[in-house]
Amino acid sequence: MARVEPLIGKYVHMVVQGTEYRVYFEERGNGIPLVCQHTAGSDGRQWRHLLNDGDVASKYRVIVPDLPYHGKSLPPESIEWWKEDYKLSKSFFIDFHVAFSHALDLKKPVYIGCSMGGHLAVDLALEKPDEFRAVIGVQAALHSPGVTIEWFHHPRISNDFRATAMLGMSSQRSPEKYRRECSWEYSQSAPSVFPGDLCYYFLDHDLRGKAHKIDTSRISVYLLTGEYDPDTSHDVTQELANQIKGAKFTPMTGVGHFGMVENFESFKKYLMPVLDEIARAKPQ
Amino acid sequence: MKICFLDPSKLERVRAGINTDPEFKLAAKYISTDVLLGVDDSECIFKVREGVITEIKLDLTPLDAWHFSIRGSAESWGKFLQLPPPPSHNSLFGTMLRKTLRVEGDLEKAFAYFWAVSRMLDVMRQLQNNK
Repeated sequence: MARVEPLIGKYVHMVVQGTEYRVYFEERGNGIPLVCQHTAGSDGRQWRHLLNDGDVASKYRVIVPDLPYHGKSLPPESIEWWKEDYKLSKSFFIDFHVAFSHALDLKKPVYIGCSMGGHLAVDLALEKPDEFRAVIGVQAALHSPGVTIEWFHHPRISNDFRATAMLGMSSQRSPEKYRRECSWEYSQSAPSVFPGDLCYYFLDHDLRGKAHKIDTSRISVYLLTGEYDPDTSHDVTQELANQIKGAKFTPMTGVGHFGMVENFESFKKYLMPVLDEIARAKPQ
Repeated sequence: MKICFLDPSKLERVRAGINTDPEFKLAAKYISTDVLLGVDDSECIFKVREGVITEIKLDLTPLDAWHFSIRGSAESWGKFLQLPPPPSHNSLFGTMLRKTLRVEGDLEKAFAYFWAVSRMLDVMRQLQNNK
């Protein structure tokens, strides 16, 4: 008999900021809810290795949504989205995750996100500390200095550009097949989505002067950062960790910006102690 | 360390190595452009015609034209061409973000051809290390 993966995919209908969205998610396991957020311009496929990992599923209910406009979560039916510039805002991103958690009736889930999802981890810790028991920010920073994002949606520049650019954010020490898988996923989103997501990543996320207000007695904060990321280095995340009293930062060696997809075997070595510690702790 | 694309004795090997790379052949399909590579004050131009590097020109004159350039110090290029490269030097995009290599000129062309140019440099890394 052919191998069938133990994860399942479903759609949930939920309202965020007055608009109904049909949101696709995959899940596996029955333990503590662990909601996993993909990076800008990609989708939940980035977490397929985590979803398939038996060690994680033995303790956690792993849940991976595609953000609206990403992967199998289509744009909403109730608005003429094709007449608007797609831009992800911090308020929508936060409200989406609170609404998603409520829609699935999750009790104090753990949140993990990478890149823009890593930035959101600390934004959630600051603004919604009672909704989650812990956040894990992968490649998170206080702030990411912007680049000119218009090149990522240009009539004479194809999706090859962002696929190649993101390949270059991974580590050449990671297995080539998984670096290419990550790049492939980046080549597949609608042209406006990546630069639209970067509006949050580069502009809306900015915890300078605010990160010290995060209260880790109400929500645990863990940070993991790969050394081969040319955008968010160990030093950049260390600067964030220094601002949050009680945050725990683990630098990861060998991996780049996309640990969970480019080199899950290595990423797991850093993630499991964090998940074990969260599982041992009582929800705050 | 002598950079392979500035060494007259290695140019034909570099040209042939890139032109026969399966991924470069896919990525460079339809591309015709002239790319200047600069290491400190030394420069050369890669001439690409219909996806094939037809010439790597050294000894440039003030009348040589190119569409975009990739420049950096010998130290930056040296790290970029290490196998494997150290953190922050592992890709053209990464070095652009960290400003250790600079892409200048017609950026629209540079980004439209980014896959081919990035692959060209990745193959160069293999050739630099005699792979």
